[in-house]
Amino acid sequence: MSRHVRVLALARKEFTHLFRDPRALAMVLLLPVLELVLFAWAISFDVKNVPTIVCDLDQSAASRSYVDSYRASSLFNIVEQASNPEDIEASFKKGETVAGLVIPAGYSSELDAGGRPAVAVWLNGAQTNTAKVAQAYAEALNQSNSRSITLSWVDKQGAASAQAAGILEPRLRTWYNPDRVSSIFLVPGIIVVIVMIVAVQQTAVSLVKEREQHTEEQLLLSPLTDAELMVGKILPWAVFTLADVVVIVGLSVTAFEVPLRGSILALGLGFVLFTIASLSIGLLVSSLAPSMETGNMLAQLIAFLPAFMLSGFAFPLDAIPGVLQGISYLFPGRYMLTLSRGVFLKGAGFAEVWLQLAALAGYAVVLIILATFLYHRRQRR
Amino acid sequence: MKISRIRLLIWKEFKQLGRDSLLLRVIFLMPLMQLVMFGYVIAADVTNVPTAVVDLDHSQTSRSISSALSANSYFKVIERPASEGELAELVDTSKVKVAIVIPERTEARLVSGETAPVSVIVDGADATTASLSGAYASQLLAQFNPKTAGLPGVDAKIRVFFNPTISTVITMIPGLVAVIVMLSLLVVLSQAVVKERESGTLEQMFTTPITQGEYLVGKVVPYMLLATGQSALVTIVGMWWFQVPFNGSVGAAVLGQFFFLLVCVAMGLMVSVVSSTRSQAQQMVMFIMIPSMVLCGLIFPIESMPEIVQPVSNLIPLTWALDVLRGTFVAGSGFGELWLSLVVLAGFAVALFTGAMVVVRRRLAE
Repeated sequence: MSRHVRVLALARKEFTHLFRDPRALAMVLLLPVLELVLFAWAISFDVKNVPTIVCDLDQSAASRSYVDSYRASSLFNIVEQASNPEDIEASFKKGETVAGLVIPAGYSSELDAGGRPAVAVWLNGAQTNTAKVAQAYAEALNQSNSRSITLSWVDKQGAASAQAAGILEPRLRTWYNPDRVSSIFLVPGIIVVIVMIVAVQQTAVSLVKEREQHTEEQLLLSPLTDAELMVGKILPWAVFTLADVVVIVGLSVTAFEVPLRGSILALGLGFVLFTIASLSIGLLVSSLAPSMETGNMLAQLIAFLPAFMLSGFAFPLDAIPGVLQGISYLFPGRYMLTLSRGVFLKGAGFAEVWLQLAALAGYAVVLIILATFLYHRRQRR
Repeated sequence: MKISRIRLLIWKEFKQLGRDSLLLRVIFLMPLMQLVMFGYVIAADVTNVPTAVVDLDHSQTSRSISSALSANSYFKVIERPASEGELAELVDTSKVKVAIVIPERTEARLVSGETAPVSVIVDGADATTASLSGAYASQLLAQFNPKTAGLPGVDAKIRVFFNPTISTVITMIPGLVAVIVMLSLLVVLSQAVVKERESGTLEQMFTTPITQGEYLVGKVVPYMLLATGQSALVTIVGMWWFQVPFNGSVGAAVLGQFFFLLVCVAMGLMVSVVSSTRSQAQQMVMFIMIPSMVLCGLIFPIESMPEIVQPVSNLIPLTWALDVLRGTFVAGSGFGELWLSLVVLAGFAVALFTGAMVVVRRRLAE
């Protein structure tokens, strides 16, 4: 029998196994779609609607106009009115609000007297990301309030002498995603995370399972070589995972209107290599794990959190310590994420992403060889 | 329920766990490794974002903007392209993530009292950096506006409670601990019953006088002990390694975590009872884990989600556990503030255990 006949026979056996458990198979195919919808639609990195509590001790037209500037901004969302400042801290402790605005009594009379009153902006440090953004916006908002107060005072003085100096106005432009649509931010990354989670998990138990069910001896008796076994094990899942990829990419381009600006060919090749690389991680786990539980557990731990954390999908990796930078390059997700974002958003082609493609290819080859070798060594024992 | 039979089951479970030497190591060492590794990632306060300045004005003002950027720890000016055209290449290749373009006549506009626009360009492929950079750049540019001190106006006194330096690490580590413990518990427990079903020992079990209730208790107790040990270890190591202070009520934190562990164990058990094969159980864990992590508010702010989705996050136990952990660790809260979250967590535990019990009855009757 020739080599590929043997591999195909093994692949067919794997397919048969898969179809025997249609519920699990359905989940494998449905889960990615659910994830895509969840990520693309439900979440966003942008901080907005920060739950804000207001304590207006002045209750004047001036204080209300200050509060209105908060109400008008999309960043703050006034959800509560407090009658005394202590309530704000209590509300922070309950985790109900993140920002608190206190306008002191005497605010308007001080303004009328030409003074410079101070309002207090309190932030809940338990929600750091939101607090940081809220801090920056509170300052900017106060600047603009202060400026209009100054201008109206200047006006009232009627002195043309105090001609106001111009101001710098930042105009934020977000390249590749000018409307800051969160699905466009997220989708190119989430596809990578999904593939990684699906792929690693599936192959991680495939070899241990044969051992636990004592079918391994039968495989050993067959003329299959170890390398053929590895390829045959990967093949069916590669087909399924790539089908997942096609569905997800199709959905994101049509339903979520994520632009695909670069070379589809480069993206496709990237996903093929990345899928094989992820499947080989699973295979490696499977050739090492003593039992299905351990294989399972290792796979989920290796695939799930690193896919989220070390790929650069949700957390920027520029600021992490050097050792971790190194570790993040040990997972194929990091290369694929750069590739996917490049092709989807930045219109990259082979010229820009050849390095990532080469890394993924190398990664897949090394891992399959390593898995074959380790598996072989185990057999000897 | 007979204590002696339950004791026997517990002993059996431990014996089985002990047989797989790698598994125990995975249960205890893996979470620690994850905690330390991801702690750095999740808690990294972004600084030194590669930045480009395009100065088309070449004036006193534009130079001082540029030097203010260099002095700021968030931005790191690494390129000074001569035109906006050259900028495209730098952003396309991800060499820079933020660019400030100061157009011609900026100073002239300022002097004549006009509004002078300054472009802040962010790389939309990196959403996190994009959202923070915008805020920081606006804050920085505001400094250049004419000082109105002495004239009437308003000052804002900003004060950050509980965490004055807005350090990310002290708020993220408690949440990360919960995620890691939940993941590893679900992974292990989801296999606990289905494994016996697959290997056919479940039927054997019920030919003995053991009742379903006893069986469940016998499953829960060993894993609960394991879970308690694991989460205590992970929490303590996390606090020590990352120097996370603890400000609130220890009682509330411990009780909250205990309830959360019960919820995780019950959830894992439920998955295991419902599934008929191990790979189904495995898939279902992911089905639970991914939405939990995404919607609980640890990574993505809940208030930014669409209004229909926000209530969904209340159905996720992790959201409530996060409330308790962040409240006690950072905000110094106690039972007075957190009673609702604690009650909800306890409710989840009761509901899930009851559910698991009912399902066991039904599935075994089949």
